[in-house]
Amino acid sequence: MKRAAAIMLALSLALGLNGCGSGLTIFSNYRRLENIELVRTVTADAEGGDITATVYSDAGKESDPRMYQRTASSIGVALGELQLMALGRVALLSHTENMLIGEELAAESLGECLDYVERYSEMRLDTGLMIVREGTARELVSGLSGPDAPSSDVIKGFADNISRAGQGYVFSCREIIASLCENGYALAMCVAGEKAEDKLFESRGELDIRPRGLAVLTAEGISGFLDDEETTGALLVLSKYRSKDMDIPVGDTVVTLDLDGFETQVRPVFDREGALRGMKIKLHVSANIINLSGTAEVSRRDYRERAQDELSRELREAIEAAVGRSQEMGIDFLDLRGFAARAEPIKLQDMPGSFEEALPDLEVEVTAESSIRRTYDIMDPPQTAKDKEVKNPWENLIESLRDS
Amino acid sequence: MGKSDRVTERQLRVLTFLCLLSPMIRILPSAAVMFAGLPAWISPVPAFLLGLLYVKTLNLLTGSAPEGQGAAGMCVSALGPVAGRVFCIVCGLWLTFYAGFVARSAAERLLATVYPNGTNAVFIVALLLGAAFTASGMAKTLSRAAEVLMPIILGVAVLVILSAAPEMSVDRLLPVTYRDCARVLYGAAPIFDVLTGFCYFLFLRGFVSRPRGIRPNHFPWLAALSLMAFAITVVTLGTLGDSLAETMDNAFFMVVRNISVFGLVERVEAVVVAIWIVTDFIFLSALLMIVGEIWRTVTGATRHAVFSVPTAVLSGAAAFLIAGNAFELQKWSDFIIPITNIVFTVVLIPAALAVGKIRKKY
Repeated sequence: MKRAAAIMLALSLALGLNGCGSGLTIFSNYRRLENIELVRTVTADAEGGDITATVYSDAGKESDPRMYQRTASSIGVALGELQLMALGRVALLSHTENMLIGEELAAESLGECLDYVERYSEMRLDTGLMIVREGTARELVSGLSGPDAPSSDVIKGFADNISRAGQGYVFSCREIIASLCENGYALAMCVAGEKAEDKLFESRGELDIRPRGLAVLTAEGISGFLDDEETTGALLVLSKYRSKDMDIPVGDTVVTLDLDGFETQVRPVFDREGALRGMKIKLHVSANIINLSGTAEVSRRDYRERAQDELSRELREAIEAAVGRSQEMGIDFLDLRGFAARAEPIKLQDMPGSFEEALPDLEVEVTAESSIRRTYDIMDPPQTAKDKEVKNPWENLIESLRDS
Repeated sequence: MGKSDRVTERQLRVLTFLCLLSPMIRILPSAAVMFAGLPAWISPVPAFLLGLLYVKTLNLLTGSAPEGQGAAGMCVSALGPVAGRVFCIVCGLWLTFYAGFVARSAAERLLATVYPNGTNAVFIVALLLGAAFTASGMAKTLSRAAEVLMPIILGVAVLVILSAAPEMSVDRLLPVTYRDCARVLYGAAPIFDVLTGFCYFLFLRGFVSRPRGIRPNHFPWLAALSLMAFAITVVTLGTLGDSLAETMDNAFFMVVRNISVFGLVERVEAVVVAIWIVTDFIFLSALLMIVGEIWRTVTGATRHAVFSVPTAVLSGAAAFLIAGNAFELQKWSDFIIPITNIVFTVVLIPAALAVGKIRKKY
């Protein structure tokens, strides 16, 4: 009887706390499902001394894309107002995929935006972050949107595929915040809007989103930008590529290579006194020939070796460009210190002076090796292990003589 | 305590494990990183070894005590009726205060992570009300509940940790060299501090029915708790890095917030919140029961249940008065509570038990 009374009492208390109509609820941030506006993209731009935050909600194909905007003294206040007052609906930021920040704001107060992402419980740290050059983030995202192509879809597609295309890498807020905390610098993807000239269908937006290299961030803001070659070099060292297509001139022909495997080894070089003298960066790339302009026997070994040499040279130059820029800026955005610390932790701790002091004068030796695995030439099918076993050694010798 | 209210040695160990999981997931990895920095992920290993040594020592001190006698009874017989009772009152007051701190921490954690616009009073009152209700029941009910909940909690925790693991990078956990040994040991201090909470559960030893000749095996629960500490620290540091993890109040929760399983399952932090609430609730209930058992020994009452509600009220008062805001509470959490806890669990209570052992009182 006593137990039943206790259970009844507990249940009656629980009934009173469900929030249905009574307003008495423990869910202080309770929202009705029909009032939720699911935000996928957030932009922030400088507006005088204030910040204009814009949220884009286009979750479902059935519903029209919506855009809400607020200007306030900080991004937190602006988004807070947006969340509660956007046309009577509640903007839910928990599924924000990407955040785009105008260059002006990023230069002034990027830290404030990152603090907001870290602090606010609804945001997630893995939100992708891009810096918009040549215009405001709001103009870019609005320009991307078309009746059948919501801007958030376009941006998500860009973020997902840019590393596969080998043209950049969208670092997440987590990666940027962690790097800023750990090292005092970070890299961020830069983008810009371009007039969509090759508009395949009318329902697309007026603008295309295009990569514009990487920005080097420090606690103070943006310290500089990397051009395309430096971006390639930086991403190769940081192992942020998943694939990349490159056109390589070989003699009279141009061969298109699909780079599909990257391995970077970075080792420090210390002298006898224990001082850090240099770094050795060794890159190994595997590639496939996917296209050929001109006429050549791509299956010939000497042709492949020339293509490999050309590819290695281009990649080596890209890495050297990135290293040179890092040394010129005095900012270790390639995380050479991290590589050195993992390879030779004791020597690095004992070296005279700091790594940052040594960085500008380091002798960095870059070597790149590449190997072409397939040609996709129907006359040159890939060899299987079985083929290799069956082949007579004399045939191999004759073939190599013929190749040479 | 009635003869019908008996728990097995295993049930008490499961209860201990589940209760200590609560402070473990509250302090980690921030506390360990604060002391050790990057090598904090190795700290659970020495903490486990120290914990094993500590538990073995306490077992040596209390192993020959008669069945039905808890640590409170041992202290009274060791120090004499007056000094022993005074000592028990001090322990009881500390644990009442500690229960208030646990309730307040649980409430603040929910406010910081899930209910930013809420008030802590709702959570403190609800937790203490439920805990008082449970603590006034039988020890075997609480232990059985812990036994039932443990596989669920462990299963969910393992799933969450495995889901978070793909985001981590081994590079963030390195380098660690022999020079970091001292830091690793510093990092073990807060984890060991949690493991010493085992001492409080000696007060419930009177409920344990022990078959003669069988020594309790404490290795599994200590190993499981240390493994959990290791997994939480490794995943958090491997995902966020030590610098960022140190600055966050709930770094592991931040990692969980980012979990995405093939883009199909996202925002699974609710399960972590569930783990918090369940372990906090069990821990609070156990603390109130321990305090009730101490008061029962001091007053000579027949049942511990009558003390649950007054203890919960006192703990509630402590929870509200302990700190004006989350920043003040953090100071308590970082310094005062761990140090006081160590003083009781490593110095005062073992010393009292050692006196009894030397005087051959049990």
